Amino acid sequence: MFAVLKTPFRHPEGLAWWEATYWALDLETSGLTPSDQILSVGLLPIQRGAIVYGAHYYSLVRPRRPEALSPEGVRAHHILPAELRDAPPLEEVLPEVLRRVAQGVLLLHFAQVDLGFLRRACRELRQPWPHLRVVDTAVLLARLNRHQACLEPYAQPLPSSLGAARAALGLPPHLEHHALWDALATAELFLVLRERLGLRSLRQLF
Amino acid sequence: MSGENRAVNPLEFVRQQAPFHLLPEEAMQKVAQGLEITFYPKGSKVLEQGGSRSHHLYLIRKGAVRLEREGQPVLHLEEGEVFGYPSLLSQEAPAFDVVAEEDLLVYRWGERVFQQLMGYPEFAAFFTRGLAERLRFSNRLEGALLGLDLSLPVGELVSRPPVFVPRDATVGEAARLMRAQQVSSVLVEGEPLGILTDRDLRNRVLAEGRGPETPVLQVMSAPAKTQPASTPLFEALNFMVRQGIHHLPLEQDGRIVGVVTDTVFMRRQARSPLHLLRRLERTRDLADLRGYSRELLGVTEGLLAGGLGPSEIGRSVSALNDQLVRTLLGLFEAQNGPPPCAYAWVVLGSEGRMEQTLLTDQDNALVFEERTPEAEEYFSRMAEFAVNGLIQAGFPPCPGGYMATSWHKPLAEWLRLFRGWVERPSPQEVLEAQIFFDYRKVYGALSLESLDAVVARTAQQGIFLAHLARASLQFRPPLGFFRQIRAEDGGVDLKKGGIAPIVSLARVHALEVGSLAKATVERLRAAARAGGLSREAAETLEEAFAFLMRLRLREQLAQLSRGEQPSNKVALERLSPLERRHLKEAFLHIRQLQESLGARYQTDRLG
Repeated sequence: MFAVLKTPFRHPEGLAWWEATYWALDLETSGLTPSDQILSVGLLPIQRGAIVYGAHYYSLVRPRRPEALSPEGVRAHHILPAELRDAPPLEEVLPEVLRRVAQGVLLLHFAQVDLGFLRRACRELRQPWPHLRVVDTAVLLARLNRHQACLEPYAQPLPSSLGAARAALGLPPHLEHHALWDALATAELFLVLRERLGLRSLRQLF
Repeated sequence: MSGENRAVNPLEFVRQQAPFHLLPEEAMQKVAQGLEITFYPKGSKVLEQGGSRSHHLYLIRKGAVRLEREGQPVLHLEEGEVFGYPSLLSQEAPAFDVVAEEDLLVYRWGERVFQQLMGYPEFAAFFTRGLAERLRFSNRLEGALLGLDLSLPVGELVSRPPVFVPRDATVGEAARLMRAQQVSSVLVEGEPLGILTDRDLRNRVLAEGRGPETPVLQVMSAPAKTQPASTPLFEALNFMVRQGIHHLPLEQDGRIVGVVTDTVFMRRQARSPLHLLRRLERTRDLADLRGYSRELLGVTEGLLAGGLGPSEIGRSVSALNDQLVRTLLGLFEAQNGPPPCAYAWVVLGSEGRMEQTLLTDQDNALVFEERTPEAEEYFSRMAEFAVNGLIQAGFPPCPGGYMATSWHKPLAEWLRLFRGWVERPSPQEVLEAQIFFDYRKVYGALSLESLDAVVARTAQQGIFLAHLARASLQFRPPLGFFRQIRAEDGGVDLKKGGIAPIVSLARVHALEVGSLAKATVERLRAAARAGGLSREAAETLEEAFAFLMRLRLREQLAQLSRGEQPSNKVALERLSPLERRHLKEAFLHIRQLQESLGARYQTDRLG
């Protein structure tokens, strides 16, 4: 049991975690299938250990196929088709996103979903996919659960959804299903998880 | 806290917190631009006492922090409260450890953004005026907690000679001098003495569209308000708060020796009275008041432990209790609409004299302008509400029944009542009415000048004074024939034997010379000034009073910590030999003054 506890502290060499810039990112999409479209993007950086709200980027994205938007999707993400009509297209938004995240570590909650959309977007727009380092807060949560299971085998594991995990860790409720607020919620969750896991070097995060 | 379970975006949250709620929309842009968010795990230090100075203004988003000094907790701050600014303003090391009491999610702004926001007067006033409020209620405590003796002369805080400009200087020259000397004010030479501050440069020069060529004479404040350098710190601070000034030139031997600013005290902030005060400011309904008296007890303990005198403690406690009443009446007005006519909420007895400490019953009354059915109805409900609120807050109802629930009357009726006591006194009535002569208005727009006038005229009412003198002899110090202290059940009742006699002696002597003072110490001094009491007698009684009050308070706190009900009795064996001797001397002085008062009014000959 103590061996498990000790492992995270064994690699103090390399960059300290706070020396890297992290970009917390969230997408709102019309659904979860590969044919679905990105409707909004929100991202903001963590620099020197603090979330820099002033450097955030948020944009709605005009869908290529507005006719494909479903009422269920609108209910989930609260983005109305009318709002999207004047939004910039993905061709304009994607470079803005890539320009920022290229300079750091990408921070996502359930990374695979958003990464899938981003990769597809790059492919469609013939943009090279920058090979980013990705930290997934859902993975860190699972790690914390494993640690806790060693200490308190009968305790309830932490829930994995963003809102519920935050609540379980004492973070305030946030406005869900909005790309910027979800990105911020992810960034805050990361700060707590890093602390709980005692991760001090950048390397320990992966 | 309210809103805890409602999701809000960060800017909406910030906008709802003081002082950010005072910022105009354009400034919120800066707030958004400069916002940073960090996390501190429970137990970690955000700022360190004596460590590197604060570079941020912090706003608690979730969690709580504890301010500590030398490991002693001083203040607790919660969601929505700000910290870090005293060090930011003074550019000095933090005066406290700021420790995360729980996991802490905190918003922060760097100092450049903070400086920009301080350009908005309302926002800035929160930090400066908030300071004044804090000082008003807690300066004594601050001193106590921080080892800063507030009875020291304010001149001791002067760290540099004053900076002067000639009388024909322009504001541009003044501003350059201020920059070069790194001061926030300059004095203007000559008579009368003038002062020009940062604030004046903003409000009277820039905001008025004037240029740097403006003569300082046109925009300075003159004559500048000054105080002698020997003024005790406590009084100097009160002076600044009352005058609403932020810079105070100090004079000594006819010249100015320096200027103190309120920011000097900024980093000395510490205050559990403030915490309680804030709690009152946030009270939205009666249920919020539960536990008030317990917190007040903590404040009292802190004050006593800090070596403060009973009259300062009484003043702090009364200031808080006054705020409690104002909060209650404000709540009532908010719920029931404005009053049908002007009124005054008055407190009586020890509350009126600002001598409350622990064992405080409610003694209060309500005076309203004129009797109408509407007023009768409104004010009886108001009294009911406020008295009930005080009970909620932990003040037991007054056994004698002097509470606004039965004592709410139109002013004319109060005047009749007072005139009756004064002009056609009966012994029993005067005995019972004594505490009414300690009335003090706490809240309301109604002027009580006419009542004051009746009280001031009692100086001519010999019979009334004689009855009052006799009433003051109701309790005698427990001294035996051989001047030994007579203990009952091994103890002495400090209230009956000493405190109450001094209080009523002071009352008679003050009324005799037409003084409207209420506090016992002030009454004794007023009587001595007017020659109604020898200076020596007044000073001796004042000392005896302070001694008895402190002794009682100490014993009551000890009783509480042993889980006993606090009482006025002290066991003789709990006193040191020196204290016993002091007690005996105090009793002897009281007896002597009672005898001379009795002889003067020949109270034994009254019917």
